[in-house]
Amino acid sequence: MVSKKVTLVNAQGFHMRPANVFASAMGKYSSNITIKFNGNSYNAKSLLNIIAACIKCGSEIEIVCEGDDENEALADAVERIESGLGE
Amino acid sequence: MRITDLLKKQGISLGVAPKTKREAIDMLVALHEKCGNLSDTAAYKEGILAREDMGTTAIGMEVAIPHAKSEAVKAPALTAITVPGGVDYDSPDGAPCKLIFMIAATTDGDVHLEVLARLMQMLMHEDFTAKLKAAKTADEFLKVIDDQETAQFPEEAAAPAAEKKDGFRVLAVTACPTGIAHTYMAAEALAKAGDAMGITIKVETNGSGGAKNVLTAEEIANCDGIIIAADKNVETARFDGKPVLSTKVADGIHKPEELINKIINGEVGVFHSDKKADASASAGGDESFGRKLYKHLMNGVSHMLPFVVAGGIFIAIAFLIDTFAGNAGSSSFGSVNEVAAWFKTIGGLAFNLMVPILAGFIAMSIADRPGLLVGLVGGFMATSGSTFFNPGAIGFNDIISGMFGDILDGKVDFATAFAQATEKADQIAVVPSGFLGGLLAGFLGGFFMLLIEKMCANFPRALEGIKPVLIYPLLGLGGIAVIMNAINPIMGIINNGMNSALVAMSETEGLMIPLCALLAGMMAIDMGGPFNKAAYVFATGMLSFQTDAAYQIMAAVMIGGMVPPIAIALSTTIFRNRWTLEERRNAPVNYIMGLSFITEGAIPYAAGHPLQVIPSCIVGSAAAGALSALFGCKLMAPHGGVFVFATMQGTWMFYILALLVGSVLGMLMLALLKKPIKE
Repeated sequence: MVSKKVTLVNAQGFHMRPANVFASAMGKYSSNITIKFNGNSYNAKSLLNIIAACIKCGSEIEIVCEGDDENEALADAVERIESGLGE
Repeated sequence: MRITDLLKKQGISLGVAPKTKREAIDMLVALHEKCGNLSDTAAYKEGILAREDMGTTAIGMEVAIPHAKSEAVKAPALTAITVPGGVDYDSPDGAPCKLIFMIAATTDGDVHLEVLARLMQMLMHEDFTAKLKAAKTADEFLKVIDDQETAQFPEEAAAPAAEKKDGFRVLAVTACPTGIAHTYMAAEALAKAGDAMGITIKVETNGSGGAKNVLTAEEIANCDGIIIAADKNVETARFDGKPVLSTKVADGIHKPEELINKIINGEVGVFHSDKKADASASAGGDESFGRKLYKHLMNGVSHMLPFVVAGGIFIAIAFLIDTFAGNAGSSSFGSVNEVAAWFKTIGGLAFNLMVPILAGFIAMSIADRPGLLVGLVGGFMATSGSTFFNPGAIGFNDIISGMFGDILDGKVDFATAFAQATEKADQIAVVPSGFLGGLLAGFLGGFFMLLIEKMCANFPRALEGIKPVLIYPLLGLGGIAVIMNAINPIMGIINNGMNSALVAMSETEGLMIPLCALLAGMMAIDMGGPFNKAAYVFATGMLSFQTDAAYQIMAAVMIGGMVPPIAIALSTTIFRNRWTLEERRNAPVNYIMGLSFITEGAIPYAAGHPLQVIPSCIVGSAAAGALSALFGCKLMAPHGGVFVFATMQGTWMFYILALLVGSVLGMLMLALLKKPIKE
């Protein structure tokens, strides 16, 4: 299991479009990927889960990956979030 | 932010059948427009379509949430449709959408994200989405959402109930003895704690600047409970039947969260007031202006009453003692005997405070504590007759004694001093404006203070402490002095004009009866103001001529001053339903005062109901005066009422008849003018 803390840079938070982008990107990996935020864990492959977390701009979240491709998944997730998920 | 706060009944359309995604969007946008959520429908729709172009907002599970953040949105809102037949919404799972929410978000804040998040959290429950899709009416749809939201977010369940009532969940009153610092510190602490806890709270401050941010009857009725953080008495009767937590003001400053929690968790007992009457009296946040004026007036009158009653009885005792001492008919009747003089002087002191108290408490009722100063001083200026050129209302006697002082000091010779004194005396005409002037002082002063308080409302907080101790009193004193000094000379002019008219009348043959009626009526107009004073001074002045005409005039003037209290007392005895309990209880004293020629006994009633009482008293007094003159009643003593009847050389029986007729007439007219009241 690997994990890393990142800060969300999207001005409007983790709203539907970036969540969609992120969830579908994570869906390609076989590892279990979770977002830890505010003491709760959310399934990073689920658009609904991500939006339900209500993560606002500047929030620090922890990405946790566990599985065969956990390192690739974590690197990809961190890069996407740090780059603003295409926004 | 609850979904049910954002979604209105009119914003829901169930069982619709759009053929395309575009048609579904049109429907949802139209719902937003219907609810008045948009300032520019076209611009908002453009935002929605632009968002869909970037990728569908369908999230699977037959649900789509189109949304746009736009300048065209007035306030955050939601609309919803259900599509039983489904509509193709480019869903990631390829299934048609049956439940669509559309979010309209303003460009500021995170409402957008929060609403999305909450919707998602709720939509994850499949039975919830199923229930929504099955809902038959908008009410049912909203109820499903409300139930789900309450179940998922129980900590805020009570909030929407309070918010829907546009009220506050928790109310608080803060007060401390000095009312400068702690009151406001506690208020701020409570408001901050309420904000942090997400509890709507309103705090009334009973500081020395008067009550601010006053709780309305409606707010009290709708709140969960009331916190009283005060180290002095707070008006609590209005909280009857509500949970009330009473504590020290320090608790409000140091543990506001604990206090608020106690209210919210229902740990506070229900408060029962033993003063129901006060509670109903304070119930009116929506009282008419006239009703408020009346309340201010009665506040003054009820505080004045004890002064009138006690002072009046003391003066009556003085007359009684002087009668037994055999001094009836003396020009200084009532203060010849030393004991009588003591009673008359002390009674007079209480009388001197009567109008200041009336004005002071009217102003205090209007402007709270800051109003007391302006009312008291204004009322005192009204009774003394202060003017710009004679602010101390120095009378003739003072000028004469000042003259002798100057001569004794060797500053001037007698002739110069005398010339100066007479010149001065000619210039001044000290005429008190009486209780009518006092009423004016109370109301003008009170509203003037309100104006000042309004003007000072935006002062920096640091100045809050010195407002009630320095700024209000200074501006108030200056303001009321200017107002009263401007009013009093007008009284002087009225007085002088009447004096000359009266002298002219008395010099004309055959006008004795009208003159006496006029004089007697004037006694009843203002009971100590310019009219009353003109009549009385004229009559006592005439006495020095020692003619029959002068004695008749004196008799008419005295009867004119005796009728008003008696007429009012009779009215309270016979027409009981015209008067409040308090008014009836105080009335018997008016028989004594009327018989003692203490017209002031009528003032509380005249002040409370001027339009009914004054005309009735004038008519009664004028009739009595005319009869007195007709019967040829003669009086040599300037004062004394029933105690000097014995000196009237056999005319006293007719005099009593005139008094009776006048009083009964006044009472009847009062019964006509004054409608029965409901208790």
